[in-house]
Amino acid sequence: MLSVFKTEVDKFLISRGIKGYGERAAAKRCLLSAAYLDSQKWDQRKKDPQNLAELAALMDITYEKKLPVSSLTIARFIDNISSREEVEQAEYYIYKFRHSPNCWYLRDWTIHSWIRQCLKYDARDKALHTVKNQVQYGIFPDNFTFNLLMDTYIKEDDLTNALAVVIEVMWQEAFDEQCIQLLSLYVLQKYLHSKPELKLEDERNLGAALLLVGLKQNNTVGFSSQLLGLALLGKVELAKGIRAVYTRMPLIWTPGYLSRALNVMENTVEATNGKMLCKEAVDAMATILEIAACGTSESMVTDESQETKQDAAFDDNDDDDNEKSKLADYLNKFKKLYSELESFGKIEAESLLTLTDKLVQENLPSSEAGEILNYEKRLEKWEEERAVLIQREKELREKARQEREARQAAKATI
Amino acid sequence: MVRLSTMGRQKRVRAIAALARKVREYWAQKQRPRDSERYALDYETMRRPGSGKKLPVLAHRDIRTEIRLFQHLHRLPLFGIGRLLTKKSWLLAYDEPCYWTISKVKVDYTAQDMDHGKAWGVLTFRGKTEDGVKEIDKVMYHDWRLVPKHEEEDFKRFTPVLETKVRYVPYPPLLRAMILAQREKSGEPIDGDLMIDLERNRHFPKDYFKNLDLKKQAEGTPV
Repeated sequence: MLSVFKTEVDKFLISRGIKGYGERAAAKRCLLSAAYLDSQKWDQRKKDPQNLAELAALMDITYEKKLPVSSLTIARFIDNISSREEVEQAEYYIYKFRHSPNCWYLRDWTIHSWIRQCLKYDARDKALHTVKNQVQYGIFPDNFTFNLLMDTYIKEDDLTNALAVVIEVMWQEAFDEQCIQLLSLYVLQKYLHSKPELKLEDERNLGAALLLVGLKQNNTVGFSSQLLGLALLGKVELAKGIRAVYTRMPLIWTPGYLSRALNVMENTVEATNGKMLCKEAVDAMATILEIAACGTSESMVTDESQETKQDAAFDDNDDDDNEKSKLADYLNKFKKLYSELESFGKIEAESLLTLTDKLVQENLPSSEAGEILNYEKRLEKWEEERAVLIQREKELREKARQEREARQAAKATI
Repeated sequence: MVRLSTMGRQKRVRAIAALARKVREYWAQKQRPRDSERYALDYETMRRPGSGKKLPVLAHRDIRTEIRLFQHLHRLPLFGIGRLLTKKSWLLAYDEPCYWTISKVKVDYTAQDMDHGKAWGVLTFRGKTEDGVKEIDKVMYHDWRLVPKHEEEDFKRFTPVLETKVRYVPYPPLLRAMILAQREKSGEPIDGDLMIDLERNRHFPKDYFKNLDLKKQAEGTPV
């Protein structure tokens, strides 16, 4: 009730052109506008009221008989959730659907509906849990849905969970739309700004996320993210080997992440369109290189004794040795590029956080409008699909009924 | 005398045995071992619990470090349809890009982590894309790598090198001398054009000559 009232007030104020309403309202940091988060269009869909108990019984019988459950049944179940307990039941049925022959056919609108329902009935942690275990639940949300989920966490400054969502997007390699890129950059920078304790695994995930987002953004923030991401990945590569970097990650297996970071710096030097690199990113790269260089020079002796114990034909060890030997070269090249960047004036003194904030402020409203239009078009397509499915189900039921009647009539005449 | 009478009489129709055979086939089909059971592996002893067979020793390192195809596909939306997947053995063996582009997937839903099944796709081997969708073999080998989306372009880039096909190759000198001597003895003309034709038809399948006649008939008359 309150949320509906709030969205009405938002719309009124936005329509009267009162700017900056989002920032003045409460102390919460709202990124996505109310128009984006508005669930009115979604609620206006044609309702298909079904009894959840009946649907559950139907699904149980179908599973027992080892027949496939149609995607329409699970879609109807999720659409008709009306309380928190039913969210738990729906989670169970989503799990069962994923482990049934029709698992491939879980629809986009079902996934979207599931996340919306979770957010509505205050089951955000459930939604995050299903997204994290997408292998077991089959929940692969699209960009719009990811944005909705991330925004609820950003609003409450819950950076760990927001970061978890960004890492999920990274694993899906779903940084396609502008909005999700901006939101993820915001979350990543805020998280890094809070200077958390990072284990190597976290650094690897962060590095990969920064790299994938940075590749899509063609500006200072993008390039700096790329540099930072590649530097972190290079650090993990030196510490644990290239295999630890690419296993089960959407990253390439050729070693040399630090050299790729240096390539980014080179590209910025040669770039002609005012793109710069943030001082923070460059400093981070410098620290990583220096620590690594000092570390290897001390532990050279212990490394050699360890190497003789391992396989002689271990290609990965060769790659790692190459990397360690190239560290001195990397350090020299880095110093050269740094001096070149400074001479061209391409080092941005502002912090990455402020730059990201500015970028988000400038670009988010315009990209939101485009995405809302896309979302509405997609809603129409989903409605058509759903209508087709309902029609097909009706026809199948008719046919089955006629066949049954024909068989009964044949039995009666015998 | 007895044999003649049994040879002349038709085989006795055994209805119950036929029914039993059908039922046994049905149950064999229903209870066939799924992919997840057939390809399950005990990573300590490197044995398959289903058949008790041990996997080859040279593969042990790969089995511990690499992963199967479906262990990549199960965490991708739509089970990775449209994505490119390579094998580590191809990466080491060939410079040119070799990859499968997934087009259809049939997952074994009885697997706990959905990491077994069958997949179909289009193969690009050493830069040459084949036409037609084929079933991906060696799906259960621990050898697969997923090409990240941002590296797909780089990975697919391939400048084909023109291969020069050699058709005629000179004979080894002793054999050439022997052949020329034989020709001289039998009175045939010796011309210097003595080369091995590498594309000569060396293997004739059973129906080669039958097909030859059919082809001649199909072609009909030249005009």
